[in-house]
Amino acid sequence: MTTINLDFAEELKEYSDDTALECFNCGTCAAICPLVHDNFPRRMIRYIQVGAREKILENSDELWRCLHCGLCTHTCPREADPGEIILGLKRFVVANWRRS
Amino acid sequence: MFNPRDIIETLANNVKQTTSPFGIPKFMVNKWFKDLSLPKEGEYMLITGLMYQFAPFIEKSTQYLEKYEGTKMASLLKYAKYMPGYLSGIGLAMMTSGKEKKDAGQPLKDIALLLQKSKVDFGYRPDLDNYSGILLYDMGDQKGFVVHAKKVAQKLKDAGIKKIITVDPHTAYAIKELFPKYTGISFEVKSYFELLDLESKDLGLEVTIHDPCFFGRYLKLSDIPRKVLGNLGITESEIRNKGEFTSCCGGPAESISPSLSNEIMGKRVEELTICLGNLKKSGADVEDLSTLLVRHI
Repeated sequence: MTTINLDFAEELKEYSDDTALECFNCGTCAAICPLVHDNFPRRMIRYIQVGAREKILENSDELWRCLHCGLCTHTCPREADPGEIILGLKRFVVANWRRS
Repeated sequence: MFNPRDIIETLANNVKQTTSPFGIPKFMVNKWFKDLSLPKEGEYMLITGLMYQFAPFIEKSTQYLEKYEGTKMASLLKYAKYMPGYLSGIGLAMMTSGKEKKDAGQPLKDIALLLQKSKVDFGYRPDLDNYSGILLYDMGDQKGFVVHAKKVAQKLKDAGIKKIITVDPHTAYAIKELFPKYTGISFEVKSYFELLDLESKDLGLEVTIHDPCFFGRYLKLSDIPRKVLGNLGITESEIRNKGEFTSCCGGPAESISPSLSNEIMGKRVEELTICLGNLKKSGADVEDLSTLLVRHI
């Protein structure tokens, strides 16, 4: 069972700009990402939108496959800045490790 | 893939203890300037950020990581953070051959020569030339990055530095974009090729240019190396993804997953296949922009 955290987007504001809700999940980012892997980074952004905080922590290793190359941000039609969202999630996960 | 937490905590501890992500003491890494008599002052201060100097050590550590990725040994990496940074760093430095270390300094010597030929007034002070902390930023250790970056920026500010020349895209991005944002200290930053003013030539050569992501997309400087080459009569062969749409070389994934890094590098090379084939036929190989320029001035 997945727990939904309605305040998750608010919690993430400490780690990056609040742009995840701009995303309409078109998938341009996932199509252009050199990883070409399991809907990355679109799936992670969807998790933020629905408040699936635990899902992100469970799958956090995936975040470090991101090369921070910036192609997703450069091509996003909504200027949702997926590259920075992923970087913000890395910061969130690192802070969680260090708190635990 | 290695556990990112093990890699990040090891790199973060190394930077905290030694200012180097690999734990190698600076005097063992930064030697390129020793047989040059560079001035210590000038309009600009040359800051290499030590990235070129780290290259052979990154390659050596990646060879080991590649060997253990996906094996039971990979889980032992979590104990690396308990090892003093200097100890593991000196070990890595000793495993890396002298020739590789010396070769890594050559592009920096070439860059210094190109700047001198272009009559750029610059100085170099190894005590001010420190690692920018960019890997911590990319890995998401924001606190570690900010603490380190503040120390590096403050040292430059205290020395009265206002204008900086950088050589690699990651250090350029860190000092130009991230330092003002996260340390509150700003410098006027130029990548070395922005300042080149070389004598025009008509070499009639053609090369393939790979734009690093940070030069092409983040700093939008792709047109400048092309102008510098054009001035020497060196034209560019067309490839699919370049400039703002350049493809990643896979380098940033080296520490977390060497196999992923290789996979992405393979894709980039495929895009360049025809050009690479031609380059190989002519006996050339992939080389740094500075190496190419120095050969033709």
